[in-house]
Amino acid sequence: MDSREIETGRALEITDLVKRYPTGTEALREVSLDIETGEFFGLLGPNGAGKSTLIHCTTGLAQPTSGSISVFGHDAIDDYGDARLAVGLAPQELNLDWFLTLEESLDYHGGYFGMPKKARKERTAELLEAFSLSSKKDDRTQTLSGGMKRRLILARALMHRPRLLILDEPTAGVDVELRLELWQYVQRINEEGTTILLTTHYLEEAEQLCDRIAFINDGQIVAQGTSPELSAE
Amino acid sequence: MRTSFGARPKNDRAPLLSLSAAQIRFFSLVRRECNRFFKIKRQTLGAPLLETFLYISVFGAALGSRIDELNGIDYVVFIIPGLIMMAWAINAFTNNASSILQQKFQGAIHDQLSSPASPTQLLLAFSLGGFLRGGIVAVLTFTAATILVGVPVEHFLILVPSLFLVGFFFSQLGVLVGVRAEQFDDVSFAQTFVLQPLIFLGGVFYSASLLPEPFRTLTQFDPVYYMIALVRYGFLGYSEVNIALSLGVLTAATLALFLVNLRLFSSGYRLRA
Repeated sequence: MDSREIETGRALEITDLVKRYPTGTEALREVSLDIETGEFFGLLGPNGAGKSTLIHCTTGLAQPTSGSISVFGHDAIDDYGDARLAVGLAPQELNLDWFLTLEESLDYHGGYFGMPKKARKERTAELLEAFSLSSKKDDRTQTLSGGMKRRLILARALMHRPRLLILDEPTAGVDVELRLELWQYVQRINEEGTTILLTTHYLEEAEQLCDRIAFINDGQIVAQGTSPELSAE
Repeated sequence: MRTSFGARPKNDRAPLLSLSAAQIRFFSLVRRECNRFFKIKRQTLGAPLLETFLYISVFGAALGSRIDELNGIDYVVFIIPGLIMMAWAINAFTNNASSILQQKFQGAIHDQLSSPASPTQLLLAFSLGGFLRGGIVAVLTFTAATILVGVPVEHFLILVPSLFLVGFFFSQLGVLVGVRAEQFDDVSFAQTFVLQPLIFLGGVFYSASLLPEPFRTLTQFDPVYYMIALVRYGFLGYSEVNIALSLGVLTAATLALFLVNLRLFSSGYRLRA
């Protein structure tokens, strides 16, 4: 059975989201956004537009000033437990723990999300294999090449089998070969039923991968729709 | 090999073991903290042990041969409770402050912060890392000191809670400094210019009752003086302070610091944007 058939409804529902920093900077201005289950959604915008802030608010790394965020119907701000279980985040920065090996990185992540030991072990082996990292499993993360680090971050985000995968500029600064490789991975992940929110500032990337795209600029959604709809506009 | 990246129905990954998801989460957070200091054990366990051994050698062997006894207690034995307390305190503090700051620098702390872990779970896990490291160094120091010079334990029921409270207090202090710190200099400053003077002037190597005025009175304003006195009483049965009052104040101070940290973790202060 196609896992897209398992769930319907909204994977992410953001309503009137405002994020104002103590400095007074308003990074998000009443942003509202809906992503349907199973969708591959692109959030396109220039640097500083508010893409990462929106993601950080969704994943608990930033605290919204006002508004609401719901992940598969679960509140992601106050009663965030179920919402965070459903989300996997692959951040823009290569934020791997230098002290850990690849295997430990995945194992601890699974632990943080409450996965039992046996499930963690199986899933770790599965993902290291899938991302061609098995031979490096006992190496410390700091010894990896940039491309391997990027793959490990994607594997870590998938470790707890999230239903919504958030990719924050996964291809920023990577070479063409790795970009194509990452595209193949994320397309397959989406085909297997995981909803994806991808932020990027490459129009080509959004058009190539996404079912729908929203443009964000200066903290506001300025347009959204499918690629042909936006082209027509 | 075709591997499933994708989501599965929720019940497919229900825990089979007796631990709840929250318990697995908490133990994973603590394991990560312990794993960090075990991986660099020469620095985190070996160096503090060598340092304590040097203190015992220099102060005990060199100075001890001239001082002989303090308050009727052999000088080497007199300083060991303070050294054990100091080892626990400094290691608990340094571990937590460094661990949190390093993870903030790497951005790796986002992995824990974006998990379903509650502020209480995160705070306790970060605290326990330093607490356990300090405890290991303290136990090894005690074992070595017992073998080398023999250290009595006069009041076990005062000693254990006193050491645990001291360890937890400095763990909390390390967490506080780690969360507030923006650079490694902030941690070094707190350790070198605040913590170590308070510990050294709190009477690790001497009895405050022997100091001339105004230093004897000034020492009584040093909170670490009471911690050393509690631990020394637990080991040697000798005290210059009111034990019940000191224990009560230390408990209250530790709880207050824990609540301050919990508030910081709940509000996301310098952890979440």
